[in-house]
Amino acid sequence: MSHDAAPEAGAFRVRLMLAMMVSVVLVASVTLYFAQRHLTVTVERGEAQRFKGMLDGLRSSQELRHAILMEFCRMLSRRPRIHAALEDDALDLLYPAAGDELQSLMSMGLRDTSDQALHGLFYRFIDERGRIIPPPGSVDAGGVSVEEMEQLKLPGLPVRPQVGYVFRGRGEEIRGVIEVMITPILSMETQEPIAGLVVGFDHAEGIRTPVDADILSGVWLGGRIYFPGLPVNTQRELAHGLCGQLGQPSDVGRKVELAGVPYLMLHTPLNTGPGFPPACEIRLSSLKELEERQANVRLRILGLAGLVLCCGLVGSHVVSTRLSRPVEQLALDLEQDRTRRVSAEAALELSNEGLQRSIRFSADASHQLKTPVTVLRAGLEELLVEKTLTSEVREEIGDLIHQTYRLSNVIDDLLLLSRVDSGRLTLRLGSVDFTRLLETALDDLGALPASEDLEVDVSLERGLRITGEARYVGIVVQNLFENARKYNVRGGFIGVIALEEGGWAVLRVRNSGRPIPLEFQAHIFERFNRGANGEEVPGHGLGLNLARELARLQGGQLRLVGSDTKGTEFEARFPLDRSGRDEGDCEG
Amino acid sequence: MRRSTRGVREPWVWTTWVVLLCSLTWTRLDAASIEGQVTLPKARSVVVMNQRYEMVVKGGVIAPNPPLAIVYLEGNFPLAEGTRTERMVQTNFTFVPGLLPVRVGSRVEFPNLDTGYHNIFSYSPAKRFDLGRYRSEERPIPSQVFDRAGLVTLRCDIHEHMRAAILVLETPHYVMTDFEGRFRMTNLPTGGYKLKAWVSSKTTFEVPVDLATNQTLQVNLP
Repeated sequence: MSHDAAPEAGAFRVRLMLAMMVSVVLVASVTLYFAQRHLTVTVERGEAQRFKGMLDGLRSSQELRHAILMEFCRMLSRRPRIHAALEDDALDLLYPAAGDELQSLMSMGLRDTSDQALHGLFYRFIDERGRIIPPPGSVDAGGVSVEEMEQLKLPGLPVRPQVGYVFRGRGEEIRGVIEVMITPILSMETQEPIAGLVVGFDHAEGIRTPVDADILSGVWLGGRIYFPGLPVNTQRELAHGLCGQLGQPSDVGRKVELAGVPYLMLHTPLNTGPGFPPACEIRLSSLKELEERQANVRLRILGLAGLVLCCGLVGSHVVSTRLSRPVEQLALDLEQDRTRRVSAEAALELSNEGLQRSIRFSADASHQLKTPVTVLRAGLEELLVEKTLTSEVREEIGDLIHQTYRLSNVIDDLLLLSRVDSGRLTLRLGSVDFTRLLETALDDLGALPASEDLEVDVSLERGLRITGEARYVGIVVQNLFENARKYNVRGGFIGVIALEEGGWAVLRVRNSGRPIPLEFQAHIFERFNRGANGEEVPGHGLGLNLARELARLQGGQLRLVGSDTKGTEFEARFPLDRSGRDEGDCEG
Repeated sequence: MRRSTRGVREPWVWTTWVVLLCSLTWTRLDAASIEGQVTLPKARSVVVMNQRYEMVVKGGVIAPNPPLAIVYLEGNFPLAEGTRTERMVQTNFTFVPGLLPVRVGSRVEFPNLDTGYHNIFSYSPAKRFDLGRYRSEERPIPSQVFDRAGLVTLRCDIHEHMRAAILVLETPHYVMTDFEGRFRMTNLPTGGYKLKAWVSSKTTFEVPVDLATNQTLQVNLP
């Protein structure tokens, strides 16, 4: 049967290994997934913050630039000569009166490229209705086309400085973005606007970003877009996608994909003043490099995942093998135990069958022998009546009759043992006067002929009552007394002690005689074992066995206390009966 | 901004007396007189006696504040003999007087009594000039001859709040009203003329007058 345990243990090992592998795969997958996701989110957030921080810096510098330019224009608008030209009807002197300041503004940046953000493209004055006061031909006020100026759609003079944006170029062709600052020229006395100063700047200089920033900048204006870093088609695509989405500035970058390239986009309204076309500044930060880095990291994570997986699988195999080893051993032991148990059960069954057969044989034999023995004894007793027989014949017949009695006793013992073995002996337990039963048995012992040479020492505790059936208790006692008489020496003694001891009624029977050899003591209670003295003493080797079985059936014990040159002592114990009532058949 | 007039009262009074004495030199025994009152626009602030006036511009109109008028007799008068010299000083970063009537051909000196620079210029059609930057030590005192009738608005290129006006007239008969608009012109030639009252760059009242010998005409403008 052990060939079944190996596959089961192997299957257990495989299942354990699979379970561990699945666990490793699941844990590794979940861990790596969240690690990758966390990494991606962290990197994107960091990129967005970097982008936003950079734009905040650009915005701050742009606001500073606006503040500088507006303050410059405001100071210009307060020049007395400009007021004089406007208020004293000397418009021919208006542009010359702007003086060197505007000229220096126009030429600024030619000397130092770092100042190009303050370089003006043109300047114009507008009257109180918003109409441009044309500069005289002798003054270089910069070039701006009528079409470009019309994009401003000035409704009149603003009361506060404002910034507007127009595209440079004609028609659909956009060549740049002009940032137009309009500063009202206020009356010294009433602070009412009497004219306006319009200065145009190249917005590309204002939105220029550091070279290494990898940021594209553009302007969305009235549904059109100018994005110098993008192809025309991409610009149109972006303009189309941005329609209706530029109402509020976005502090959180939005991912867009243009011509297959991912970008992070932020947009900021450039002007919120009335009367000016809404313009919006758009910044794009390419995510291509970032995504490439992320893909690289993802690849590394996948490689790491594969490595972890392989290690996990190998580890699972090793651990499952180690863990399953005791289980396999246990299964093997279990299988061996099962095999032994099956063998034992088979042997037991065989032995039980043999026992049953033996019991049946003993019972059948007893029954079959009992009648012939009775007939034989009756025939012998009739022969004994014949007067013609000689005394010698009579003595022979008498011996034969005595043998028939012995044979009947053996048959009775066998019959009783067979009933005990088969469990068919029914006991009617009750209270038995043990002391009285012992006295009766001692009287019977004294009546036997061989007992005259023996000294019998009796010590009986009065009133001992036990639980049992008097008939079978008597058999036990008779067996002990008979053995004490039979296995004795002429002039020997028999000691009988009955006493109460720890809930038991204890009977100790001791006799003088040759000691039982030690090797026979262990088998003294086995059937048909008559010990070392058996050949010289009449008996059939069933008495002690029957006595011990009957004592056990009644809840008692029978044992050999010891055997030496001083004598041999047996002890029988029966449970005390403390109810105190008499059993009806205790006398039997 | 109001400044103390204690230091400038004397030149102003002195100038007024000079104008009156000049008028007396034209007095003839058969001279006529005109007296009356010009209805002045409301002042922007409470009028204080001896307060100097400044020229202010509102809606493209330049006018003295507190309101004041220059009343003059327009007619065909002979050209002045010689060049009269008037004076408009800059003190406490203000023109004094803020409004000065002069006859055509007069020279006006612009002494700088302040410690800093001034740069007086005018873009008015009647007289365009630019005196450039100069200090009080500048000699000769920068001046201009006003040889064309009209209103000349003066500004300082350095101090944007400084404003003044010179009304260049072709007549020798002119007088400034007081702050209530009252005026009196004496030693006037007989005949038919136009009596005009300049109130601001956009407002000039006029009324024809016919002056008779030893007549004192009562005229209110408008």
